Amino acid sequence: MDPELVDEFVRGYLKKKGFNSSAKAFEEDLHHNNGSSFSSIDYHNDPELTKLIRSFSQSKDDPTQYRECYSKLRSWAYNSLDLYKHELLRVMYPVFIHCYMDLVGKGHTQEARAFFNSFRKDHEMIHLRDLQKLEGVLAPSHLEEMEFACSLRQSKVNIKICQYSYDLLLQYLHRTESTLMLGIINEHINFQVYSGQPNSASDDIEAVTIVGSFQDKANHINQKEIQWGLLEDSLEDRLEKTGLLSDSEKGQGESKDGDMDDSKKRASEIGKQGSSLKKLKKDKAGNATAKVVRQETSTVSPAPRVKSELALPVMSTEVEQSILEDLRNRVQLSSVAMPSVSFYTFVNTHNGLNCASISHDGSLVASGFSDSSIKVWDMAKIGQAGSCALQGENDTNDQIVGTNGRRSYTLLLGHSGPVYSATFSPPGDFLLSSSADTTIRLWSTKLNANLVCYKGHNYPVWDVQFSPFGHYFASCSHDRTARIWSMDRIQPLRIMAGHLSDVDCVQWHPNCNYIATGSSDKTVRLWDVQTGECVRIFIGHRSMVLSLAMSPDGRYMASGDEDGTIMMWDLSTARCITPLMGHNSCVWSLAYSGEGSLLASGSADCTVKLWDVTSSTKLTKAEEKNGNSNRLRSLRTFPTKSTPVHALRFSRRNLLFAAGALSKPAS
Amino acid sequence: MVTKESIEVIAQSIGLSTLSPEVSAALAPDVEYRVREVMQEAIKCMRHARRTTLMAHDVDSALQFRNLEPTCGFTSSKSTRFKRAPEHRDLYFLDDKDVELKNVLEAPLPNAPPDASITSQWLAIDGIQPCIPQNSPLQAISDLKRLEYKEDPLAARHVLSKELQLYFDKVTEWALTLPGSTLFRQALASLETDPGLHPLLPFFTCFIAEEIVRNMDNYPILLALMRLARSLLHNPHVHIEPYLHQLMPSIITCLIAKRLGRRFSDNHWDLRNFTATAVGSTCKRFGHVYHNLLPRVTRSLLHTFLDPTKTLPQHYGAIQGMVALGLNVVRFHVLPNLEPYLQLLLPEMVPEKQKDEAKRHGAWLVYGALIVAAGRCLYERLKTSQTLLSPPARSVWKTDGKLTNPRQSKRKASSDNLTHQPPLKKIAAEGTMVMTQMHGAIVPAPQQSLVGRDIAPRTSATLTTDVDNFLFPLFDYFGESMLMFTPKHELNVFL
Repeated sequence: MDPELVDEFVRGYLKKKGFNSSAKAFEEDLHHNNGSSFSSIDYHNDPELTKLIRSFSQSKDDPTQYRECYSKLRSWAYNSLDLYKHELLRVMYPVFIHCYMDLVGKGHTQEARAFFNSFRKDHEMIHLRDLQKLEGVLAPSHLEEMEFACSLRQSKVNIKICQYSYDLLLQYLHRTESTLMLGIINEHINFQVYSGQPNSASDDIEAVTIVGSFQDKANHINQKEIQWGLLEDSLEDRLEKTGLLSDSEKGQGESKDGDMDDSKKRASEIGKQGSSLKKLKKDKAGNATAKVVRQETSTVSPAPRVKSELALPVMSTEVEQSILEDLRNRVQLSSVAMPSVSFYTFVNTHNGLNCASISHDGSLVASGFSDSSIKVWDMAKIGQAGSCALQGENDTNDQIVGTNGRRSYTLLLGHSGPVYSATFSPPGDFLLSSSADTTIRLWSTKLNANLVCYKGHNYPVWDVQFSPFGHYFASCSHDRTARIWSMDRIQPLRIMAGHLSDVDCVQWHPNCNYIATGSSDKTVRLWDVQTGECVRIFIGHRSMVLSLAMSPDGRYMASGDEDGTIMMWDLSTARCITPLMGHNSCVWSLAYSGEGSLLASGSADCTVKLWDVTSSTKLTKAEEKNGNSNRLRSLRTFPTKSTPVHALRFSRRNLLFAAGALSKPAS
Repeated sequence: MVTKESIEVIAQSIGLSTLSPEVSAALAPDVEYRVREVMQEAIKCMRHARRTTLMAHDVDSALQFRNLEPTCGFTSSKSTRFKRAPEHRDLYFLDDKDVELKNVLEAPLPNAPPDASITSQWLAIDGIQPCIPQNSPLQAISDLKRLEYKEDPLAARHVLSKELQLYFDKVTEWALTLPGSTLFRQALASLETDPGLHPLLPFFTCFIAEEIVRNMDNYPILLALMRLARSLLHNPHVHIEPYLHQLMPSIITCLIAKRLGRRFSDNHWDLRNFTATAVGSTCKRFGHVYHNLLPRVTRSLLHTFLDPTKTLPQHYGAIQGMVALGLNVVRFHVLPNLEPYLQLLLPEMVPEKQKDEAKRHGAWLVYGALIVAAGRCLYERLKTSQTLLSPPARSVWKTDGKLTNPRQSKRKASSDNLTHQPPLKKIAAEGTMVMTQMHGAIVPAPQQSLVGRDIAPRTSATLTTDVDNFLFPLFDYFGESMLMFTPKHELNVFL
């Protein structure tokens, strides 16, 4: 290689990088020595160094370099051995997005776009949402502005890779002297090399996810201690202690409230007496067998009891009695004893139904509309009034309006924007609603009037949830915060900030000491209500989290996302126990059965699915040893007649209520 | 997506004629970024409104988040439909239809939209989805199929729920005791629509077969049973194909049995008509799945028809059945045998030869059925071949004042003809009326149409001969009554 040329490169490089003084010194040096080189490093005669220098000079600013190098790396990765292929392919995505962002950052918009489009197909399957976001980034200023891009640029991606694959990759990079790729990989990827055989493909979610800067932070946060046990002296607790009362009393209570139950059903559903009677009988049988099961479980894993950190409201004895009664007569569900599902279908909503909520006993249904109205239906009354009307099968639309032509629901007006969420207090006497007008309103279902308007959020409030004991409630909003309120104050008590995007859903832990929030940043977080700190970050979803549910024993949490994936998490370890695949559209709603053995999910694909929780948690432990992939078992799928399922609720007696708006298929 | 050119176009549209290329080059990517940003927010709004289609007001609220003015004039309750621009792969535009202002102004006020309401149903009972109309029907059927394969037939009764057993007992009881009541009519309606009846099918099939044998002389019950069968056959939700081979013989029995009902007042002709339509619709519906259904039914009917030892009511049923099966069956099986049959039939119709009033009446009815069958064939045939008859007709008969607007008159005529298909019994009377009116014109008819056909294009020569083959004999057999079935404008050709 011509020494002159090398000198030229070095000079150009120094100038470009702004090392003017060194460039001068270098030139002086050159003149001084006049060709006969005595510099400390004899770069003219060292071929390795010359090569390196040359490659530096080549990679100046040439946008086509990225494309060439990337496509070479890509074809190498795709042609690698099958055993190691999936691990090597994991590297491709971070390299791809950083190549793209480098190009954008240097102002090569056209090349960046061409590069992006030619390779996006490779990553669409897993990272579609991220790609859609990145696609719009076309100018260096966008890179700085967009949080997602910023976090990608600043953080390193963790990739688990086995020793051999890692060596393969390094070898390749050195052999082909693709410094560009090497640079990107060094800068943005943090390899976690492990020895031994490569993992089987696709089961390891953590290996593929790309997270922002907070992976380490999350790991740190997840070390914190949390008390997931149930409250001591809660009703369930009391029930278990006095527990298993004398059987005769139980039988009595059962038959009595069997009648009550039955009358309720009769009210809501005519012509089903036969079946409900049959159901009652079955329930009894189920109870008898389940008692044994309950004893077993209580001896096997007594859930730890914790003290409440909040001052909990005092419950009136009447309410307490009725809840205890309900709990005592709960139908025990399991994979063999399935629940009954009562479905409330909204008709004539004209695409305006934003949310639906069912009270704990299933008798009240509240729905929030995009015309800022809230409508509350009393199902028991409708059952009586519309009993004859319901017999006519499909044309119930007009008939259901009460006898004297009045509408069948209570209309609550007050919001000035679409109502996005509604929730009933546990006894059903209050209703909270949140709206795009940034307010939360408290309504009394007894007076049918607005009591309080809570202002505090700065953007639409996406979700609001009453705590399991009432009085307190949590809300979350587009302003990226979640807030804790109590009914008697108009300011929030706590503000939970930390999510990187909208907080879309919120859910209370059964012991009231924590809330969980799901966000558009694809994470779920658990917050301590007392301190307002984030205590857990759950990473694994691939799109916006839409629904959350906490298991009644407080140990597990389920979250559903936009793609139809449901994940079940262990709260104490912050690990995903198992992803539940099955839905193919947004999971709007999740609910655990009363004793936590079943999980119900309602989705935009017009189905209600039931999942077996108990067997799956056991299975995972067994299967973890075997190293097999684990899938939670889907027990049943109930398709509706083109009705997306908006809300689910297990009553205290384990009757599952579901609600949705009938959407006519596009004609 | 947003190109420099589109920025320039937008600039021009708002009155900026001189936009330097640097500006548009800088604006284009930024515009695209902002649009994407807004869309991302809009999608969030869509998700929170629990929808899967993006609507205009989602974009509006997304704009509101950014303190921007919402878009105006794009809101619609229906989802907007986009059309792909021809010759462009990814260019779409709103399919905006032109609306006549006059029509909008004159249109009656639309009804007020119905108010939101709520209904409740059981989606599942103890984990099993009940088969009710409110639930998705497809799943129900596939579930049942699965059940069927698992259970062996002996255990079937155990699968039957109490409700279904009760249902079956009630319906069968009503069919036998109160066949005319409103109760039974409601039961029939339920049989026709209820999706959960599949498990009952074998029982109903068996019931119908047994009761028909037992009640051959009880007209009301026979009719009730036929209505029951028809309702079951019409139910779109049940999977009746496997039971057809058991059900069809009973039905055919009701069509071509020697005696249906005991008393003279029993109108077994009506029963035969009713059954014939049921047979016809069944063959239409299941013909493609059950490929030898149609041939088998046809064969048994034809057998009856061609057997001279059978009684006239049996012949009548066979003819009606074949008519219901379709005109092709009539053309291939009835018409070729028409001549010998008529030779047997005609003597029965004349009072001098057949003294028995009832038998003569029957003969006339058979004759009427034959006329209708043949006439329909003729009508269909002429309608399909009218292209071949009409143009020359116009050229030949141009002087005729009535034919100035042949197209219009043709359309009117055909609709007239369809709606005015005379009910069976009137045929004879009306036929004679027509006969007297047109008596004079009948004789030259074949010749004139021959004239027309001579000029017809050669391509339709085969058709013409086909028309020839069965058309003119028909006129020979039935004479003027055939004219009723000739579309009016073709009629003109003959006149």
